[in-house]
Amino acid sequence: MSENVDTDLPVAAIQSSALSKRAPRDPVSLIGTISLSLIAFAFAFPIAWAALTSLKSTSSVIATRYPLTVWSFFPPHPTLENYVFLFNELKLGRHLLNTAIASSGQVLLVVITSTLAGYAFARLRFPGREGLFALTLLTAFIPLEVILVPLYQVVSGMGLTSTYAALFLPFAAQPFGIYLMRQSFRQIPPELDDAARVDGAGTWRIFWRIAMPNVRPALATLVLIQFIWSWNAYLWPLVIMQDPDKQIVQVMLAGLKGSPNYSLDGPLFAGLTFVTVPLVVMAILLQRYYVRGLMTSGIR
Amino acid sequence: MLRGLRTPDPTRRTENYFGPAMVLPALLGLGLFQFYPLVSAVLNSFRTFNAFTKRPTGWAGWNNFIEIFADDVFRNAVLITLIYIVLMIAIVVPMALGLAILIDKRMRGTALARAAILGALASSEAVAALIWNQLYEPGTGLFDAILKSMGLPEQPFLVSGPHAIVSIVVMTAWKDVGLPMLIFLGGLQAISPQLIEAAALDGASSWRIFRRITLPLLRPSLILAIFMVTVAAARLFTPIILLTQGGPDGQTTNVPFYSYAQAFEFSSPGTASASVMFMMVILVGITALQAFVIRDSNDGGRR
Repeated sequence: MSENVDTDLPVAAIQSSALSKRAPRDPVSLIGTISLSLIAFAFAFPIAWAALTSLKSTSSVIATRYPLTVWSFFPPHPTLENYVFLFNELKLGRHLLNTAIASSGQVLLVVITSTLAGYAFARLRFPGREGLFALTLLTAFIPLEVILVPLYQVVSGMGLTSTYAALFLPFAAQPFGIYLMRQSFRQIPPELDDAARVDGAGTWRIFWRIAMPNVRPALATLVLIQFIWSWNAYLWPLVIMQDPDKQIVQVMLAGLKGSPNYSLDGPLFAGLTFVTVPLVVMAILLQRYYVRGLMTSGIR
Repeated sequence: MLRGLRTPDPTRRTENYFGPAMVLPALLGLGLFQFYPLVSAVLNSFRTFNAFTKRPTGWAGWNNFIEIFADDVFRNAVLITLIYIVLMIAIVVPMALGLAILIDKRMRGTALARAAILGALASSEAVAALIWNQLYEPGTGLFDAILKSMGLPEQPFLVSGPHAIVSIVVMTAWKDVGLPMLIFLGGLQAISPQLIEAAALDGASSWRIFRRITLPLLRPSLILAIFMVTVAAARLFTPIILLTQGGPDGQTTNVPFYSYAQAFEFSSPGTASASVMFMMVILVGITALQAFVIRDSNDGGRR
């Protein structure tokens, strides 16, 4: 093959948009920008539409949606009555609190188990280390659906049915978190440990004072991903929580869908908006950590 | 790992206690809530149960498997599961690759599109299903309103079996395409720009560069993305229970939903476990086959 280094080749110009980090103003990038805007619109639409619909009164949710007019998208008379109803009559605050308890319990436990095990797998030597780590990773391939029934039996056998602990305890240890923390602890230069050891620091002190402060970004990732995952749980709470007062918010909202006597469409939209929009905004603002966590979970 | 051949260093010896102690909480959790239930699930699939107490009463041999294979609903659920897998791969993987390529070009609007896709990914499956339920609602949903205003026939999105399957897949694709997209994006960014520049200078067309350089180098990302989409598709549950409850007439019931119904509606833990065990075996088979096919075809292409 000949190395043709003629920079005036037209092909090179076409390719340049892929190579340079800046956007040249040419028709190709204009089409690209238009497609990107359409994509952004398509992906943002369902949630944005739900948020707008939540401002309609229940009676007008369906009446103004079909047939199509501009009011299918925008509330003709914006009102917060759905939110008022949701908090006063349907006790959304209570269910939000339930979800928050389940989420914070899971995040806290996962952080503890993952940092401890991750550090030991990364930096300490003990017999059986590699074998145990491999076993840990293996659990990443066990779908919840497969172990749903026996897990239910374990948790109810422990007498935990319909307790808050039942919502998060089964997810206290996760291969994803252990793997993420192990990778991060491994990146700390061993010289740091050695220096501390020379100064007489013990293993625990090195872990707590030297290693932990060096893995803050990974910790942020772990907390964020676990929070999103637990906040979005549905199947497990549906199965294990039989006390409606302690049920998490997603399951409670799903119950509004088929309300037999009168339509709760307005409050349903308000609930969906209230539960999702803050989480989505948080994921977007913290996308550096979010993406890092997702990539780790994909590559484990 | 090989760093430091075991030295008789007193501080190192304490690690012998610290190491196991630090992994203990994690191993306890995984043992109790993952391994034990997995072993239980395997055993349960060979057990008989009392339908009222849901306690094992004895060994069933292969009877649970024989029972589910005799059940039309289960056989249909296996077929539906495979359809979900095929549709999800056919829709989500090319879509993810296309989005990744577009976003990788870093044009104006990239940040916006990326944020919207990540936002959908972070939203909960249950919330997403409940919103899309309102979009799909037959007769009064927004999609039917839009179709009608354009003079197109309204569609029975959740009412007819085939429509409902596609509706579930489209909703899931909207929500979950971000993950394979990120995997492709990572793969694209690992490709050296010099390589593409060199090919462009050699006069290769964009398509040729994509086909001959980008795609082969993306192979690891492709394998990973297909694997993840396959597993996610095989595990579909929340959209099914919220959009169609497995209906109409069992036409959207896949194996996880079948298993759920067996366990919690028909009080039959044995057949519930047998059905998901069968799914696990099928899933391992499918992913092994995928890895084999993708490796084979690309190696053949390169030579």
